Amino acid sequence: MHHAYIDKFAYQDSAIHRLDSRVKFLVVLVFTAVVISLPRTSLSILVCYAIGPFAVLVWAGIPVRFAFKQILLVSPFVLVLALSCPLYDRTPVAVSFGPFLWRITTGWMRCFTILAKFVVTMLALIALVSTTRFNNLLAGLQRLGLPRLLIVQLGFLYRYIFVLIDRAHHIVRARAGRKLRNLGFKTELRTAASMLGSLFIRSIDTAEHISIAMQARGFDGSWRTLWALHTHQSDWLFVLGAACYISGLYIFIKPILQ
Amino acid sequence: MTKMPEAIVIESFTYRYPDGTPALSDITLSIEHGQKVALIGPNGAGKSTLLLVMAGFVKGSGRVLVDGLEINSRNLKKIRTCLGSCLENPDDQLFMPTLFDDVAFGPLNMGLPAEQVRARVADALQTVGLGQMSDKAPHHLSAGQKRAAAVATILAMSPKIITLDEPDGSLDPRNRDNLMRLLGSLPQTLVIATCNMNFAAALADRAVLLDKGRIIADGAAEEIMSDAKLMAAHGLEIAAKK
Repeated sequence: MHHAYIDKFAYQDSAIHRLDSRVKFLVVLVFTAVVISLPRTSLSILVCYAIGPFAVLVWAGIPVRFAFKQILLVSPFVLVLALSCPLYDRTPVAVSFGPFLWRITTGWMRCFTILAKFVVTMLALIALVSTTRFNNLLAGLQRLGLPRLLIVQLGFLYRYIFVLIDRAHHIVRARAGRKLRNLGFKTELRTAASMLGSLFIRSIDTAEHISIAMQARGFDGSWRTLWALHTHQSDWLFVLGAACYISGLYIFIKPILQ
Repeated sequence: MTKMPEAIVIESFTYRYPDGTPALSDITLSIEHGQKVALIGPNGAGKSTLLLVMAGFVKGSGRVLVDGLEINSRNLKKIRTCLGSCLENPDDQLFMPTLFDDVAFGPLNMGLPAEQVRARVADALQTVGLGQMSDKAPHHLSAGQKRAAAVATILAMSPKIITLDEPDGSLDPRNRDNLMRLLGSLPQTLVIATCNMNFAAALADRAVLLDKGRIIADGAAEEIMSDAKLMAAHGLEIAAKK
């Protein structure tokens, strides 16, 4: 089966795709830190910050619809957190936007800010993952000094997530093929537990086989690769542009909009 | 003149699974360099376990020598450079993010310089017909390509002996023919565990029939695999004529 859930657009070619993975990773890291550090009253500046990753997505030819679908996929966790804010913080606050003025609570204000920050940082992350092949990203992280063990773990995660998805699909299909009536919540729960158990045991089996395959090819605990990365003039231009954009908004535009 | 050691020598080897079930009983086997040997037998006969024994992954009672070296912790690195194991499921064999990284994994662990590793990877991928796919992630390959890539991971290490566990599993006839052509063209000693008699007959000059962990027959592949009575007694079918 061919999977393209995570790296669907990473194999395309564009100026953004060709940038060094370290440069993209560091820019996204700084961008995320700045966006997260913005105060809760900064909704309008968040809109300005959203323009950057949005422009990168368009420039790299990544469909914006794909990006929003990915955001929707992970949104339930943040939604729960954001929607709980209005419940415990009901201090009234007046919000103005040009000639308009309306009253809400600080809880709602916090809720909107969390959601906006989530969308903006996710856009940046999706722009990174969709324009960088995973092996290049790993190579970049390795060069940036991340522990090798973590790099190895991430590599395995990326490689075997697709195998696991495949197996999970097979198990679900096998169940659907024999499930001819509604079994009731308890039975469904028991079946789901068995399915997860089966997936878990097969994962252990796979891990043992991988260990054999690695040792059979001389693995002695040291991770050796030929990952090579080179920075070009375009990488430095990108860093300069990103630095101007991130700091310019923070220093000059934020005080005006607050 | 010193005599070249045999590729694999197994003397009175016995192994039980941790739950006490006998897996291999009193196995004695000798394989010469350059031989193409098919390990045939029904499911659960002990074929895969015997391949693991040859690669030093299963320890039991008895002696195992690979290219004249006895399997022990001191010789294990040399043995694994000399004997390449290709597992049954290519997804277990291909664990790196790209095909290039996967094929380079073995040569890098052998301590070869970067340029030599690149040359070996290019050669191995060219041999299996995946020369243009080195940047691909393994999950983007078809079943036939994955199988060929798994063979490339072994070829890049230039071993003298190659063991393959059910290499024809889940392959369509065209991919099976491609794999047969590839394996048939390799000069190395091949030990292939399979239940597919036609596949075995097309590649092997010698067959070793295993059942319930014991060697039942050992001889010319054509002779053993055309013995209808013997094959039927062990749940196998006879091979079509070559």
